[in-house]
Amino acid sequence: MTRASSRGVGFALGTVITVCFIAIAVVAQFWTPFDPQALAILDKLQPPSPHHWFGTDQLGRDVLSMIMAGARNSVGVALLSVAIGLLIGVPAGLLAAVRGGVVDDLIMRGNDLVFAFPSLLLAILITAVFGPGAVNAIIAIGIFNIPVFARVTRGGALDLWNRDYILAARVAGKRPLRISFEHILPNLVGLLVVQGTIQFSLGVIAEAGLSYVGLGAQPPIPSWGRMLNEAQTLTALAPSLALFPGFAIVLFVLGLNMLGDGLRRRRSA
Amino acid sequence: MSRAAPGRLGLLALLVLLVSSSAFAITIGMQLEPPILDPTASPAAAISEALYGNLYEGLVQFAPDGSVLPKLAEAWDLSPDGLAYTFHLRHGVRFHDGTAFDASTAKFSLDRVLAADSVNPQKSRLQAVRSVEIMDAYTLRLSLSRRSGGLLQSLAWGSFVMVAPESAANDATRPVGTGPFRFSEWRRGDSVTLVRNADYWGTPARLNQVTFKFIADPGAAYAALMAGDVDAFDYYPAPESFAQFAADPRFAVFVGPTESETILSLNNRHAPLDNLLVRRAIAYALDRHAIIDGAMFGYGTPIGSHFPPRNPAYVDLTGEYPHDVAKAKQLLAQAGYKHGFSVSLKLPPPSYARRGGEIIAAQLAKVGIRATIENLEWAQWLDQVYARHDFDMSIVAHAEPMDYDIYARDDYYFGYYSPEFKALVAALEDTVDPDARRTLLQQVQRKLADDAVNGFLFQYPKLAIWNAHVKRLGFDNVLGTVDLSAAYDDLARPLGSAGAAGGGTTAPANARPAGWVGSAIGWLAGAGAVGLLLLATRRFGMVYLGGRLAVLAGTLIGATGIVFFIVQVMPGDPVRYMMGLQADPDAMLALRHQLGLDSTPLVRYLHWVGGLLHGDFGSSYTYHIPVGSLIAERLQVSLPLAVYALSLSLLVAFPVGLIAAARRGRASDWLLTGITQLGLAVPNFWLGLLLVLLFAVHLHWVSAGGFPGWSAGFWPALQALTLPAIALAMPQAAILARVLRGALIDTLHEDYIRTARAKGAGEWQVLWHHALPNALIPVLTIVGMQFSFLLAGAVIIENVFFLPGLGRLVFQAIVQRDLIVVQSVVLILVLVVVLVTFTVDMAHALVNTRLRSVRVS
Repeated sequence: MTRASSRGVGFALGTVITVCFIAIAVVAQFWTPFDPQALAILDKLQPPSPHHWFGTDQLGRDVLSMIMAGARNSVGVALLSVAIGLLIGVPAGLLAAVRGGVVDDLIMRGNDLVFAFPSLLLAILITAVFGPGAVNAIIAIGIFNIPVFARVTRGGALDLWNRDYILAARVAGKRPLRISFEHILPNLVGLLVVQGTIQFSLGVIAEAGLSYVGLGAQPPIPSWGRMLNEAQTLTALAPSLALFPGFAIVLFVLGLNMLGDGLRRRRSA
Repeated sequence: MSRAAPGRLGLLALLVLLVSSSAFAITIGMQLEPPILDPTASPAAAISEALYGNLYEGLVQFAPDGSVLPKLAEAWDLSPDGLAYTFHLRHGVRFHDGTAFDASTAKFSLDRVLAADSVNPQKSRLQAVRSVEIMDAYTLRLSLSRRSGGLLQSLAWGSFVMVAPESAANDATRPVGTGPFRFSEWRRGDSVTLVRNADYWGTPARLNQVTFKFIADPGAAYAALMAGDVDAFDYYPAPESFAQFAADPRFAVFVGPTESETILSLNNRHAPLDNLLVRRAIAYALDRHAIIDGAMFGYGTPIGSHFPPRNPAYVDLTGEYPHDVAKAKQLLAQAGYKHGFSVSLKLPPPSYARRGGEIIAAQLAKVGIRATIENLEWAQWLDQVYARHDFDMSIVAHAEPMDYDIYARDDYYFGYYSPEFKALVAALEDTVDPDARRTLLQQVQRKLADDAVNGFLFQYPKLAIWNAHVKRLGFDNVLGTVDLSAAYDDLARPLGSAGAAGGGTTAPANARPAGWVGSAIGWLAGAGAVGLLLLATRRFGMVYLGGRLAVLAGTLIGATGIVFFIVQVMPGDPVRYMMGLQADPDAMLALRHQLGLDSTPLVRYLHWVGGLLHGDFGSSYTYHIPVGSLIAERLQVSLPLAVYALSLSLLVAFPVGLIAAARRGRASDWLLTGITQLGLAVPNFWLGLLLVLLFAVHLHWVSAGGFPGWSAGFWPALQALTLPAIALAMPQAAILARVLRGALIDTLHEDYIRTARAKGAGEWQVLWHHALPNALIPVLTIVGMQFSFLLAGAVIIENVFFLPGLGRLVFQAIVQRDLIVVQSVVLILVLVVVLVTFTVDMAHALVNTRLRSVRVS
């Protein structure tokens, strides 16, 4: 297998996996094989069967349906936290690149400050303040996406400001902020998509970690991390409960990373 | 000959006895760690669970059926008017510190409870006591201001144990009592160890050493029992796997009642829950059997009122509201809620509440009541539900024995108000005759059921599990303690190097034998930093360096502000958390003042920062020891773990990165890149979970978690850190390998590599001698970032393996609202990140002066 084709395979595979998971998340919004929140105590802890493909959990809920609904939660939290990073980080980065000087310093020192905090601990602190829940998990993860996007945007923008066509725009009398949004930003889209994919996959892992310690989405909304936590004491009775949510996380993150790698190579190629 | 033989035999017998008795050491798992070890100053049930009857003893004690038996008081009489108790104390009792127990120490103990500045959580139970008088050396009289039917029972509580005047002030950290075991060591976040009291007044204990190990997570509790890390668990927190242990011949189990009533508490103040018809509708909507089945896996006895079934006065009222959806709907319609209504259901952390909450919400939905679940930690629960009454429904187990009187309190959280009920409770307080009391107690139960005050669910079961070779552990008692006085281990197991406690000498002085490890590392790091700084000053001059240091200082100051702010706005009152459900308002005020929490935020901030400047991190609210020493203790786990994981990460990443770069584009590169992709995608806590299941639970190669301490020897300690280090290292190794491969391939395009190739250098030679040194720069950055991540980011892994590290310290401190600990530890971690970043920057600049010129310009 040649290098190019193996990379192509990775990219294609990553795209397929990512699209599948997002599709599952969307489908789960409208349909799952069973109601993921419906309890059936009498049917608890059933092994995988044709009726319940992934078995049932300790309260008799269908695990496949919970994994599907968990995908919705995972995609939602990760995507929205990336959105927070983009919405605040990108303008901040553009501003830092345009203004330079004190503004740049302030924004970059603010970035340093956020980076100086151990991310998981700060996320735990934030959820301790606002209370656990999907929305607060989004905020906690989103805060760390802000400096990432600010930095990437600033770096990319500084690079572009020296290009000829930007100089031409400046000579034509366009205001720097307008140039930022009209000429710089469109040229950064590729860079931001690559970074966004990386942050998306980190967000999926972070969400799983937070909900594993009980700070993510609250029951009865299913989440992969909490499913793993609840499965821990049941491993002797129903080992599959500790496996399926883990596989879901690994597969989804794997797909996102392969997609991200593929996108990056396409940009540099 | 004939005279020597018996002598030898005697010696041999003595040796055998010594060897076997010194081998009697067991470890008992507990879910919660006691915040302090003084039951007279904190309501935490965990204190009495471990120490009552074992280390501390009271004047009287409970029999299994709730009646009162003699303990340090051999007998007592009640005066005919019911206004004076005379206790006849036991002779020959000594405290562990040698103090004799007599009427004056007993008076000291009780006066301490009654004092104005007392922080005793159950102070109000002794309200009726007017004075305590010494009649003679072994006779004590309690004069009452009014008759008190429940006084004798109250004296059996853990909050009223006997303490010695000389040692009472230190009981929080170094408890002294009269019991069969004495205190040996407290490894915070990990365990408390007791050793046999050879001078016990009664029958001496058979065990030589008992360690209580704290394992909060139900999953970790399961793994610890299976892996043999603990010999017993007295309140096993995972009923879902209890049946499995019951069926396993290696284990013995006990299922018993507790005094704990699990209820769906209803805020009687809030409409529509203030409506009796609605509350009755809820009672009909509940299906107790489904709740017990689903939440407790069948363990637990249904109750129909707030009263424990094992009490002789119990009446079974579970039939008053049978599960009946139609009836519930009819009552709701009658109350004017034909289409139901919406309520909040706020749940504390235990699994009975969380799982029970999901089931109850589903049951309520069937009659049209829409309950929105909100999961809270204990501190939030105490704040929102208990203190501010900001809830509609909650689920909680009320653990205190004979606590029906909470329904007579106006300001109690569920807000029940009934003059008739208050009259019943007042009558009980005034009644001493057993038959009259029983009648009144039955009226109490009926009244609560008639008014459907709360949803009465089940009596919480005591599920105890222990290794079959441990015999006569006492689990069946009213206070829910572990009685170790008769316990012994059938298999004389070697003590291990963990504690050569043998004869029962206490050695608190060497409680932190490995302290020098931490300080040595600290000094080394400090020396390294100073060296680097000097070197950097010579290379770059003061101006550049000064600027960098100013930024560093600014970041730190900013961080103190942010941390302090977050901690201040965090809801939940540390004092409320520490004092618990039955807190006395005066005691709370006293404690708040003692902790300095009554000053303004600005004063507290300046005080904290001022302290930090000269290395004083303040004093932990929960543990009552300096935060600095707490952190030093935890660093002994976190620092080696981070170094271990980083070494593993490097060990894996370097060969993988080098091979992948050398064979780039070929099958082996493809394979290795695939593996690193996988490594990136596996969450470390899931990997940790799988490792525990495989190596600890199934193969028994290593223990499932916990940390024996460096005093147990280098290898056992290293072994305990191995699985967590692997779980932490693998994702990091994947990142590092990818960075290394990328950096190597990048350098391979440089001109000087081509020159080297042209000179005839082989592929490996080029990689090793020419490319690697340059590729190390980005790798160094990542290694620096990973080190700080591993130090701080191990929170979840520390929870999976229940390691007493820094991350778990913060996590627990957040839950317990030990704010000063949260502030200081987070700041220290920030400091580490900032210093590591700075060091890496400096190292960069030293390696690559080109970088410096870019930065300076």
